[in-house]
Amino acid sequence: MVNGLKKTFQTKRKAAGLSGSLRALVHPQYQQVEAVRDLSFHMENGELLGFIGPNGAGKSTTIKILTGILYPTSGEAEVLGFTPWRQRRQLAYKIGTVFGQRPQLWYHLPAIDTFYLFGKIYELEDHFIRQRISFLAEAFEIQDLLETPVRKLSLGQRMRCEVAASLLHQPRLLLLDEPSIGLDVVAKQRIRDTVKRMSELEGVGVLLTSHDAGDIEALCRNVIIINHGQIVFQDKVSNLKRRYLTSKLVEVRYAQEVSPTFHLEGTENLKIGRYGVKLRFDTRQTPVEGVISRLAEAGSLVDVTISDPTLEEVIRTIYNEQEA
Amino acid sequence: MRSGKYWAIFKTQVANRMAYSGDLAAHSLTIVMFMWIFMQLWRTTYSVSGSDTLAGLTLHHTLWYLMLAETIMLSKPRLSRGISQAVKDGSIAYLLNKPYDFLLYQLSLGLGDSLMNTLFNLLAGGITVWLLVGPPPEMWGWPFTLAAMVLAWLIDFCVNALIGLAAFVTEEVSAFEWIYSKFLLLLGGVLIPLDFFPGWLQQITSSLPFAYTIYGPARLFIEPSLDRFLSLVAVQILWILLLGTLVTLSYRKGLSRLAVNGG
Amino acid sequence: MLRELGFLIALWKANLQAAMEFRVSFITQAIGMMLNNGVYFIFWVLFFDRFKEIRGWGLDEMFILFGLVASGFGLGVFFFGNALNLAEVISQGQLDYFLSLPRPVLLHTLASRSQYSGIGDFTYGIISFFLAGKTNPGSLVRFGLGIFLSMVIFLSFLVLVQSLAFWMGNAQLVSGNAQNAIITFAIYPINLFEGSGRFLLFTIIPAAFVGALPAEMVSQFTWWNFLKLLLAALVFLSLAGAAFYSGLRRYESGSAIQIQI
Repeated sequence: MVNGLKKTFQTKRKAAGLSGSLRALVHPQYQQVEAVRDLSFHMENGELLGFIGPNGAGKSTTIKILTGILYPTSGEAEVLGFTPWRQRRQLAYKIGTVFGQRPQLWYHLPAIDTFYLFGKIYELEDHFIRQRISFLAEAFEIQDLLETPVRKLSLGQRMRCEVAASLLHQPRLLLLDEPSIGLDVVAKQRIRDTVKRMSELEGVGVLLTSHDAGDIEALCRNVIIINHGQIVFQDKVSNLKRRYLTSKLVEVRYAQEVSPTFHLEGTENLKIGRYGVKLRFDTRQTPVEGVISRLAEAGSLVDVTISDPTLEEVIRTIYNEQEA
Repeated sequence: MRSGKYWAIFKTQVANRMAYSGDLAAHSLTIVMFMWIFMQLWRTTYSVSGSDTLAGLTLHHTLWYLMLAETIMLSKPRLSRGISQAVKDGSIAYLLNKPYDFLLYQLSLGLGDSLMNTLFNLLAGGITVWLLVGPPPEMWGWPFTLAAMVLAWLIDFCVNALIGLAAFVTEEVSAFEWIYSKFLLLLGGVLIPLDFFPGWLQQITSSLPFAYTIYGPARLFIEPSLDRFLSLVAVQILWILLLGTLVTLSYRKGLSRLAVNGG
Repeated sequence: MLRELGFLIALWKANLQAAMEFRVSFITQAIGMMLNNGVYFIFWVLFFDRFKEIRGWGLDEMFILFGLVASGFGLGVFFFGNALNLAEVISQGQLDYFLSLPRPVLLHTLASRSQYSGIGDFTYGIISFFLAGKTNPGSLVRFGLGIFLSMVIFLSFLVLVQSLAFWMGNAQLVSGNAQNAIITFAIYPINLFEGSGRFLLFTIIPAAFVGALPAEMVSQFTWWNFLKLLLAALVFLSLAGAAFYSGLRRYESGSAIQIQI
């Protein structure tokens, strides 16, 4: 539960060059940067929530406040019954974090050694640690990887171990910050599936921040879009798509060659090839039926593909809307 | 002119270092600290010994000697890392394609580095010692000392190059770097003027190159004389020729090995 | 405190395991450090061979002094290796990792890294002590005590100086110099210094508490000296803690120099 969170940073402003540096030394000028502006949202236990936003939107700042690393200029927040910046240590026992950019596993040691260390950090009983390790190893399919030094693992394997490590102490809430950065499609999918499964099994809530809309789409039920430190959208992922689904993409292939001046009224050509066309149209202005029938009449259709805009495009639209 | 490019490299490195003058100033605090400590140590030693001179040197002489010795030690070019790294990761093979000689390039780089370091250290150390014991025994020794210093740097460069090139044979050369700097400290006369050593030890040190890298120029400064200068330079040049030849041979050998093994 | 001991042991075990991955490098570093110290040892042998003794300090006293500082240093940086680069840890935002875990931040940060060459320093120090020829059960105990107290003061000083990173951008330079200074001053006999210089070594750069005082305690124990040492340890420990945690507060407000938004 977060209410009216506000976070202002003070940064020094400095003019360029040596004279600028000297001036800054004698007469520092401060610049207010409002990283987070009046942010409020609510998250249920065991919920899968996604946080998406461009760079500098305030995602990381929010996560840091929620984990107690940063304290806000004003506002309140309560995570699992604790005020993060006041009861950081107690909260730490109940949450797990994975930062895509900052690994937790010791680089030169096999993952399992870090696991045991974490056991000591979270004050877990020995037999409980062993139990958790075998359970997580199976769930994440990392049994064979545990004894290998982390530096020898691929990025995908390492991330699976990282996420497993963060779940060792059975936290109620898992915070993932850019977990799939640098991973290939297959690796991403594996992590997403496992996290989702873990959440279902253990009732762990997941707060995920990402640039990758695919992560959010695959994993989260609800999404918050943040921009310039404020929430610009807060709802189910499915609603997001439905509300902003106002255009369709159609791709057709014909048996005959296509004229370079091919054009359908009310549509926009994206690409014209020798035998095919790719076009886009706004469903609010041009009915689907008309487009399809006209396309069929234009020649002998060999293939047709109709698709929705991607989540990526939807989000971009929202950003643009907000700017306007 | 071919040597023009090395001069350019040297100049660039100097300018580079000047940009970090804050850093350099801070690093020269080290020499200030050392000088202060040495002052305490040797002042007490002299007063306890009851005489004004030890091995023919006064406190005055000793302190200026140590300042110069320390300056040379602290500001000499650090190169073996760069060379050994290039050998280890094989990038030396690529550098062979460049229209400059790898070793000369490293030398110019190192000298450029050294210049600023030396200036700052001389300034800081000089002011400190001046405040502690007064002006240097003789002033006219400067140009000769500087000449000797440059030659000293060349000797040091050759040793460093040999160490760096040893990477062709063994992976880790840092052990050799260590040993070399320890030898310099003790047998080169950084920690203590070689004049204070027992005779047998002095004989050993005079047959090793270390004394001519540090002791030579520093000793020249406090008691300059043409004789001393010429004999010093003569030996320095001998060592440069000897070590330089070794370096060139090792370099060629290392490269041919590279060509055979493919790096 | 005891609660943290189990955790610290696990941390040190992990450091040791990581060291074993680089067995050769570990041993080389340790030996290298011993050789390094050995050179200064030779210097003092030569020095005292010529100058016999300086105001009551002879070769034996130097051995004890050097040994004590070396062992204290070695022990300290082996178990709390991050004390040497705390400033860097702070300015690169690596504290976030320690802040998100339920263990005391300073302790966790310091013990998360190990400077393996410290073992060389430690071993050398012990050898140096034995070479002084004043070994007996009493002096051994006092040596151990001296090492411990010297280590505490040394580490506290480091934490104090490195905590400047919470307030200034380039604290690494200052702390590097401070670190050099305290070690260099600590291994010279205190009788060499007088007046304001001496005062400096008991306060701003507490080298006297790291070297001279504990060393003296080994050869000639007086309760007064021991008390002074204990007091100094407590004072510097509290100063270090205060500096670090008040800096941490600033870090948490986000106004420390490096913010990563």
